Amino acid sequence: MFEPVLLKNINTPDSFKIDSYLKNGGYRSLKKALEMSPDSIIQMVKDSGLRGRGGAGFPTGLKWSFIPKDPTIPKYLCCNADEGEPGTFKDRAIIEKDPHQLLEGMAIACYAIGAANAYIYIRGEFALGGDRLEDAIREAVSKGYLGKNMPGSNFSLNIYVHRGAGAYICGEETALLESIEGRRALPRIKPPFPAQVGLFGKPTVINNVETLACVPHIIERGAAWFASIGPAKSPGPKLFGVSGHVNKPGLYELPMGTPLREIVYNHAGGIKNGRSLKAVIPGGVSAPMLTEKDLDITMDFESLAAKGSMLGSGAVIVMDDNTCIVKSALIIHEFFHHESCGKCTPCREGLDWIVKVMRRVEGGEGKEGDVDLLLKLCGDVFGRTFCPLGDGAVMALRAAINNFRSEFEYHVSNKRCMVNGRGKVNR
Amino acid sequence: MATVKINGKEITIDDGTLILDAAKTAGFDIPTMCFHARLSKLASCRVCLVEIVGQKKLQPSCVTPVMHGMEVLTESPVVKSARSSMIELLLANHPLDCPVCDKGGECELQDITFKFGPRQSPFGDKKRRFNEEDYILSPVIVQNANRCIQCKRCVRICAETVGVGVLGSIERGAKTGETSFVREYLDCDHCGNCIEVCPVGSLMSRSYRYKSRPWDLKGVDTVCVYCGTGCQLTVQARKDEVVRVISKPEEGINNETLCARGRYGYSFINSIDRLLVPMVRMGNTLEPTTWEDAVRAVRNGLSEAINKGKKIGGIASSRLSNEELYLFQKLMRGVLKTNNIDSGSRWDTAAVKTYAEIMELSKGGLSIYDALNTDTLLILGFGISDENPVTDYIIRRISGNKKMNIIMASPRGMKLDNSAVLSIRHNPGTEGVIIGGILKLIYDKNINSLKNLGGKDYLKDLSKEKVSDITKTAWQDIEAASGYIMASNTITVAVGSDVLRVPSRIEFLRMLIEALRILGKDVKLFPLFDRSNQRGALEMGVHPDILPGYNFIDGDGLGADGIIDAASRGEVGALYLAGEDILSDFPDGVFAREALRQTKFLVVQDIFMTESAKMANVVLPGVTFVEKDGTFTNQEGRVQRLRRLFEPHGDAKADWEIMSAIGESIDPSFNYRSASEIFDEIKKSLPLYSGIIFENLDGNGALVKGPVSSSQSSGKWAVSINLKRESADPEYPFTLITGNHLYHSGRLSLKADTLYEILHEAIVEMCGEDARKLGVSKGDKVKVKGKRHEAALTVRVNEGSMKGVVFIPENFTDVPVNMFFTKGEGYPKVKVIPLGRES
Repeated sequence: MFEPVLLKNINTPDSFKIDSYLKNGGYRSLKKALEMSPDSIIQMVKDSGLRGRGGAGFPTGLKWSFIPKDPTIPKYLCCNADEGEPGTFKDRAIIEKDPHQLLEGMAIACYAIGAANAYIYIRGEFALGGDRLEDAIREAVSKGYLGKNMPGSNFSLNIYVHRGAGAYICGEETALLESIEGRRALPRIKPPFPAQVGLFGKPTVINNVETLACVPHIIERGAAWFASIGPAKSPGPKLFGVSGHVNKPGLYELPMGTPLREIVYNHAGGIKNGRSLKAVIPGGVSAPMLTEKDLDITMDFESLAAKGSMLGSGAVIVMDDNTCIVKSALIIHEFFHHESCGKCTPCREGLDWIVKVMRRVEGGEGKEGDVDLLLKLCGDVFGRTFCPLGDGAVMALRAAINNFRSEFEYHVSNKRCMVNGRGKVNR
Repeated sequence: MATVKINGKEITIDDGTLILDAAKTAGFDIPTMCFHARLSKLASCRVCLVEIVGQKKLQPSCVTPVMHGMEVLTESPVVKSARSSMIELLLANHPLDCPVCDKGGECELQDITFKFGPRQSPFGDKKRRFNEEDYILSPVIVQNANRCIQCKRCVRICAETVGVGVLGSIERGAKTGETSFVREYLDCDHCGNCIEVCPVGSLMSRSYRYKSRPWDLKGVDTVCVYCGTGCQLTVQARKDEVVRVISKPEEGINNETLCARGRYGYSFINSIDRLLVPMVRMGNTLEPTTWEDAVRAVRNGLSEAINKGKKIGGIASSRLSNEELYLFQKLMRGVLKTNNIDSGSRWDTAAVKTYAEIMELSKGGLSIYDALNTDTLLILGFGISDENPVTDYIIRRISGNKKMNIIMASPRGMKLDNSAVLSIRHNPGTEGVIIGGILKLIYDKNINSLKNLGGKDYLKDLSKEKVSDITKTAWQDIEAASGYIMASNTITVAVGSDVLRVPSRIEFLRMLIEALRILGKDVKLFPLFDRSNQRGALEMGVHPDILPGYNFIDGDGLGADGIIDAASRGEVGALYLAGEDILSDFPDGVFAREALRQTKFLVVQDIFMTESAKMANVVLPGVTFVEKDGTFTNQEGRVQRLRRLFEPHGDAKADWEIMSAIGESIDPSFNYRSASEIFDEIKKSLPLYSGIIFENLDGNGALVKGPVSSSQSSGKWAVSINLKRESADPEYPFTLITGNHLYHSGRLSLKADTLYEILHEAIVEMCGEDARKLGVSKGDKVKVKGKRHEAALTVRVNEGSMKGVVFIPENFTDVPVNMFFTKGEGYPKVKVIPLGRES
């Protein structure tokens, strides 16, 4: 049985309070880190093999090392707490139940990159989480762990909580920066990358909540310990949020590389009501879906990429054999259509066209050739959008069609659903 | 340098060149939609995607620079299909209502669809619709949001160039719409630049709407008449009626950008009020006559004045062409043997001469882009954002992309304040004292280096207290300005024509320039003029003390103020006003009227029946800028061509033809047949113009070239600098200043329908604090009362303006602002009374 790292505190009483955090050894890593040189911290994180938990899996230590060392340039750390990928609820647990773990990770990161100011960009819907973070910052400042002259050093840090106003695109790191700066959240042209020109035009690191939460543990228990968990290329503990048609939906902390079958059947208790598994989305709705035959895959960045899907946020969504894939695909696509920022042509117009076709296919008004049209449109959008949002949308749809093309065709030719037999749906 | 292969063709090009430009150099055309050369980069339309060998994804060529060794494919099957599908996606929700769209025939979307796009589309669903009917967004803009393709050029140009930022996006994703945030009449510059950059028919010109198709238009490239910026225009007419003014992206210093006046100020050309026949006074009325009789009457009038030993004077408009202004001064000096000439009647004649010398106009032209290649730009003596809007746009755009300190000194708040590191507010007419204060600080810190500075004795009397007392500017601002200047290697000083209205102690500028040069700084001088050919008028010698080519003399000639003065004493036997309405312009309307009354013989040559024309003995109908050929010299010193679009209206004649006819009637050798013939004569007598070939002048014109080494005199102090503070009058607490309004210039623009619609009632502008103290706000009526004149006006508030200053534009016939002025007393003192609360 894997002993939890990131979630170890969450079941203790008042786990979000600093006293509780300190009782469990909290802020020891920060003190230790402040005695180290920033470069040695970055090296340690590099050695640990920690990769970004927001979805892209970029090596965290490497990202930090891109920040210029010049002490006269202001630098920023932004924590991406915009957890917006449908199916994902991992960061929320850390924010609400163990906010100090995040703050400690941020403090160490800021010390390592030389940032005196940091922002937590939290989605507006996380009202409790935002409050908990603000309270936690206040507690940490009053105890001297944040603010001026942190323990045993002359390093000072301010952390600000910035609440979003409800847009998925704000999870895209450059749109997030635009939003903090008070502008319309639209992704920026890269290059320049945020490490050179980021928040307010200054070098900036943007890390996911779970990524930063790993940092204190690496400092405390060493890079080698971290690297020993899971596969060599994607090591460390990982939070998997399992939802859908399983007996025990919930958040599971397991080593990277745990087989998907083990997650679904052992930890999440198998498929509900004795039904069988039809499809599973392994990493949030942008990740192309897998089917029963793929279940032995190990859940890490490389294995999933090799299968044409992705680990993404590690949000596992399970669908049983009573699920209409066409409807699921439509619901997912409606989300992306709704959340497209509208900046680039393929995402704005492509997703709009797709949603129109999908609605009629799902609703029993599809026309011959619609399924091919959908695939053509997916091809028109894929790889040509400004940011990854559009890619995610069409990758998800393409996987649904490729795995279950007959269901789509059935909707078109029989004007009703193959799974539940429903005809034209009133919308 | 980078060597890259584009479609197999190898080229070597500067590092950092965009693939888009590199491809163009190599001869390959990549279509774009959101790209605009002079706006920030967006890379959102994805139409310009290209393949870079070795990269998985296609890359937008409009933001991706070339790298040495890069291999780019712009015509590969994958690029072609991506391009075509991107156009298909743009068209999916586009209404395709080309037959009823004003943009048809010059639509970028239409063009790239024909060139690169799919011929048919499987799209068969309901299209997105924002509005069922086009709606009016402003007096100049009609919007059809359904056609919008989200290139955001309008949003960008409004924010980045025009500096207004009234356009933006609402909603997101497929519902994103570009509009004003309030969906009601915009309060903006009404410049129409958003319409110009719109690649489709989403933003349309209200005045041009449904007037024509582009292929039915006949047009010429010419120069704007409204201010000294000298924007290139393309004036387009259908059946001899001007229906639109546009500007070309790659031509002129304005590069497609125009202001409201330039873009919508054309309809005076077709005004029914135009003078179409010559008229001669018969008793109390002006009667139509033939040119022959009219010219004979002029000759007789002039001869009589000469015979009786009376003075003759001539005042020409600084909106006439170089050829006309040259001919005018030649007629006056050569044929009528007088130096009593001037251009315009608003300026102090002596101040103009001082200004021309200090600003080193004789050294030749300086491109605005060279002037802006500087560390610090000091702008003073000009309401630049209102007077020369496109100069303001150019400065904003350039300063947005580079590090440059702008110091904006003006009594009024200016839009350009937002781009400035320092905004100095000062009492009207104290520009020179501001300069004096800056100079004093620099002098005190560099006494040893500046021990030979000419005129340094004047600095003795100039204390910190005195400067603050006269200018009403905080000393810290003066200190900050001198700090920026001293920290700079290159300093550009842009001085506007407001310093010509009253003596503004501008002599201090001569000392500052000299001091900075002694200290090793590069000083560039950039004049700002509110009239399109003011610089040309000076170069042609339309000034009593300036002979053509800036030969300064201390003669006996009278300028406009002297002529009017002499006329009031009955000493002027004949006065020739060419395009100049002194009754509207001379800063003492009462005095000017009396002067004209005392003038025996008055000739007025104009395109409208002006106030002065109504008093004339002979009225000669001139033509507008599109009915004649010629050249203008803008404030930079750039000579640009005026081109004739159509024949003169009625019996009107080009102004140079009229002048030639008058000259010929007295001296038969005074005989010119074309503008280019006159230009050739100008070239011969003015070295500044000798290198310019009339026929070769294109959209970029040609800068006049001064002598390579020019020794400017220094330490000559003919004038003593008056350092007395104006005494305050508690009964009249406000100082009245004037100038052109953003939407108007002179009186011409009132005859342009669109501009008249935008603003047709006279306004008075004051700062927020004064307005609140008076209990008035925007739109309220007040009475402005001076010692001689009073008028009811509508309040506008300019939060950035100086306290105790009110501004009334000089453009309104119903509130002639010159009636407030008293000759020789500077800016008038007035009080402001909220209407209904008169005391």
